[in-house]
Amino acid sequence: MTSPAPTEIQPGDGGDRPPKPSGTVPRRIALLVLFIVAVVWSISGLDISMERLRSAPGDAWKIFRFMFPPDFSGEIERGVIGKVFESVYIAWIGTMIAATISLPLAFLAATNVAPMWIRVPMRQFFNAIRAVPELIVAVVLLAVTGLGPWAGALAIGLHSVGTLGKLSTETIESADTGPIEAVEACGGRWISAMRWGVLPQVLPIIISYWLFRFEINIRASAVLGMIGAGGVGSELVQQLNFRNFPAVGAVLIFTVVVVLIIDTVSSAVRRRIIQGGSHKAEDSSRDAEALNDLTGIQIR
Amino acid sequence: MIRFDNVSVTYRGGVKALRDIDLTIDDGELVVVVGLSGAGKSTLLRALNGLVPATEGSITIDGTEVVGASAAELRAVRSRIGMIFQTFNLVNRTSVVNNVLMGRLSTVPAWRSTLGLWPAADREVAMQALERVGIVDKAYTRASDLSGGQQQRVGIARALAQEPNVMLADEPVAALDPVTSRQVMGDLRRINQELGITTLINLHFLDLAREYGRRLIGLRDGYLVFDGDVADVTDDTFTEIYGRAISSEDLLAEAAASAGESPAPDPDTE
Amino acid sequence: MATATVVRPKRPRPRIRSLIIAIGLIAFTIFAGRKVGFTLTTVINLGNLPDNPFVDTIWDKGKIWSLFWPIPWDWVFNRQNVIDPLLETFQIAIISSLIGCSLALPISFAMSRLTTPNWPIYILSKVVMNVVRAVPDLFWAKLLVVAIGIGAFAGAWALSIFSLAVMVKLFSETIDGADPRPLEAAQAAGGRHIPAVRTGVLPTVFPAYVAYALYVFELNIRASLVIGLVGAGGIGRVIETQRQVFEFDRVLGILILIFFVVLVIEQISVAIRKRLV
Repeated sequence: MTSPAPTEIQPGDGGDRPPKPSGTVPRRIALLVLFIVAVVWSISGLDISMERLRSAPGDAWKIFRFMFPPDFSGEIERGVIGKVFESVYIAWIGTMIAATISLPLAFLAATNVAPMWIRVPMRQFFNAIRAVPELIVAVVLLAVTGLGPWAGALAIGLHSVGTLGKLSTETIESADTGPIEAVEACGGRWISAMRWGVLPQVLPIIISYWLFRFEINIRASAVLGMIGAGGVGSELVQQLNFRNFPAVGAVLIFTVVVVLIIDTVSSAVRRRIIQGGSHKAEDSSRDAEALNDLTGIQIR
Repeated sequence: MIRFDNVSVTYRGGVKALRDIDLTIDDGELVVVVGLSGAGKSTLLRALNGLVPATEGSITIDGTEVVGASAAELRAVRSRIGMIFQTFNLVNRTSVVNNVLMGRLSTVPAWRSTLGLWPAADREVAMQALERVGIVDKAYTRASDLSGGQQQRVGIARALAQEPNVMLADEPVAALDPVTSRQVMGDLRRINQELGITTLINLHFLDLAREYGRRLIGLRDGYLVFDGDVADVTDDTFTEIYGRAISSEDLLAEAAASAGESPAPDPDTE
Repeated sequence: MATATVVRPKRPRPRIRSLIIAIGLIAFTIFAGRKVGFTLTTVINLGNLPDNPFVDTIWDKGKIWSLFWPIPWDWVFNRQNVIDPLLETFQIAIISSLIGCSLALPISFAMSRLTTPNWPIYILSKVVMNVVRAVPDLFWAKLLVVAIGIGAFAGAWALSIFSLAVMVKLFSETIDGADPRPLEAAQAAGGRHIPAVRTGVLPTVFPAYVAYALYVFELNIRASLVIGLVGAGGIGRVIETQRQVFEFDRVLGILILIFFVVLVIEQISVAIRKRLV
C-alpha cells in the first residue's frame, strides 16, 4: 500500500473534475413530460375560458362581500348553534363507534401479536373500508335508513374503522415485545398478554388517534349534512339556495369558531395524553411523529 | 427436580443453539450458567419453560414433560417458573404493583384479570413480593419512574408473585451498574436461600459467577463443557469455557473500571 | 424480612379530577347519542324506519337487496354516463393539486417561524390559513358553485383553496423543524433573505415538500370524487342525480368502481413515495 502524495491546493485546469452526474436526467425529463401532459389534459378537460378565469375572482369576492355583515340574530333564532352542535354530536358518536370496533380488531391485525390467518384478512378489511369516502357510504346508508343524523354517525363510524384500525395496528406493532414475553413466561393467556403487556403501552397513543379522528370527523359530519344526514351542512345548503348570504356568513363563522375551538382543545389534550403527565417529550417532534404515522409520510 | 435428557435446540434458520444437553438440577440448587454470547445460555433457560421449543430430547420438571406439551400444559408448567429478564420487560406506562400482579395471571381467572378486578388475596401476594425485594414503598409509582436497579427488583417481585418452584434469571444484571448488580445478585441469592426456590442464573461476568454461584455450568457452542462446584473452578476452567484467555471485559470490576460508570449491556441475541 | 420496617403505601384513590372527566365523557356520549337518535333502543328497534320510502325495516333483506341489485354494469361502464365524469374528477384533482401546492411553497416559508420575513406576515398568513382549513372542503365547493356557477371549474377552485391550506400547514411545520444552521451560515455570508432561504433551507425540506404534495394529491382525488354531490363536477354529480331518482343500483355500481380506483391510486402513491424517500 502506497499512501497518496499530499495534494497541493491550487486551482487546476478542470480536467480531472468529475462530470455533472447525468444518470437521472432522462428519468427526470420523462417525469416532466408526463407531468406537463397531465396538466394540459386536465386544463383542456375543464373548459377553462379566459373570460371565466377573469370573472371568477370578482364573482367570488362579490358573494364574500354579501356575507358581511353576517346576520347573527336570524340564524340564532333558527337555531344554527344547535345545528353546529348536532354536527359535533354526530362526529362524537361516529368516533365512539369506530373506536369500539377498531380497537379489538387492531389486535387481530398486528404482525407481532396475531397469527397470519386472521391478520391478513383483517388488514385487507381496514384497507377496503378506508378506500370508500364516508360521503358515499352515507349515500348508500341513507337509501336504507332514510334521512337522519344517526345514519350520518353510522357512516362516519364505519369509515373511521378503517383509518383508526390501521393506525392502531401500527401502534401495536411498534410496542415493546418484552412484556408479552414476560406474560407468556409466567403462564398467562394471549388475552392477558394483550391486556397487561400491550394495552398499557399503546392505549395513550391510540386514544390520541381517536381524538385526532374526532377533529377530522367534525368536518366530515358538517359535510354530511349537505346530503341530508343532519347537522350544520343542511343549514348552509338551505341558506345558500335562498341566496340569504348574511345568514350564510353567520353559519360559516359559527362553524369556523366551533371547529377551531375543538381543534385547539383536542390537540392540547392529545399532547398531554401522549406525554402521560410525567414525561416531557418534545412537543414538535412528537407531533411530527404522529403526523408521519397518519399520513404514512416518513421524512429522512 | 429438573432433568434435561439429550436436549438439542435447532432454530428455524438451522442454527444449533443447544446440542445433546444432559443435566440434572436438584430442588433448591443455585446454578450459574456462563459462556460467551451465543453459547446457548439464554436458549437453555428458555427451553426449560418452553419459550423456545426443544427440537430433540426431553425436559422434565418434577416429572412433567415440557417438550411437546400443549398450550394449556405449558401454561401450567410456566405458572410454577418465575423468569427475570435482562431488559426487565416491565410495562413502563403502568404502576409497579400492576406489573407485579402480572405474576398472578396464571391463577386469576382471565375475565377478572382482564377487567383489573384482582382478588384481594392476589393483591396481598403481590405486595408481599414487593416487600421481599424492599420496594413496597414504590408500589403505586409508574414503573418508568424507577431506576434500573429498582426496575429489576420489580421484575424479581413479579417472578416471586408467581410463588414459583423455579426461578430463571437471564442476564439479570447485564444492564445494571456494578453496585446495583451486586444488590440484585444478593437479592437472588437471598431468595434462593430463604424460600428454597431452585434458581438458574445466566451470567456474563466471571467474578460475579464465582462470588454468587455454588454450582457452575459452562456452555460453549451449545455444548455443556463444564458442570461442577464453583470452588473447583480455576482461571483455566474459564479459559476452556470461553475458548480464549480471560479479558478485562469478562470481569465486572474491571469492565466497570474501563467503561467508567456502567458496563455496556451485553446484547445476548441468541 | 430485611425490609419489614418499610410501610406499605396506601392504595391511591382515583383522582377526583379523572373521575369527573370519566363521568363527564360517558354522560356526553349518552347525551350525544340521544341527540343523534343513536340510542340502544333505536339500534334494537332498527325495525322502524319512518323516514324511508322504500324499506320499512332493515331486517327486510329482500326489499333492501332489490334496491341495490342487480347492478347495471353496462350502464356503469358507459363512457358518457360514468367514465367521462370520472376522468373529469381526475382533471379537477390534478389542476387543484398543482395550483394549491405551487402557491403553498412561498406561503409556507412566510408561515414558518424559521423563515418568515416579518411577524405581521407570519401572523396574518397563519390566521387566514387556519380559518380556511376550518371550513370543510365541501363547504368551499358549495360556496364556489353558488358564486361562479355549477361545474368542474368551481370544484377546481374549491379544492385549490383547500389543498393550499392543508399543504401550508404540513409544510410550514416541517420548515419549523429544519436545521437553522445552514440558514445562519447563508445569512452570515451576507445573503439577502430570499436567496438565503433558497440555498440554506429549501434543499433540506424539499423531499418533504414532494412527499406532502403526493399526499395532497391523494386527498384531492378522494375529495374530487364527492364534490360533485354539491354540484362541483366530476363523478359525484352523477351519484347525486342517480340518487335523486332513486337508482340506487347504479349508485352502488359507481361506488364499487370508485373503490377500485381509490385502491389503485393509493398503491401507486405508496410506490412513488417509497422510491422518493
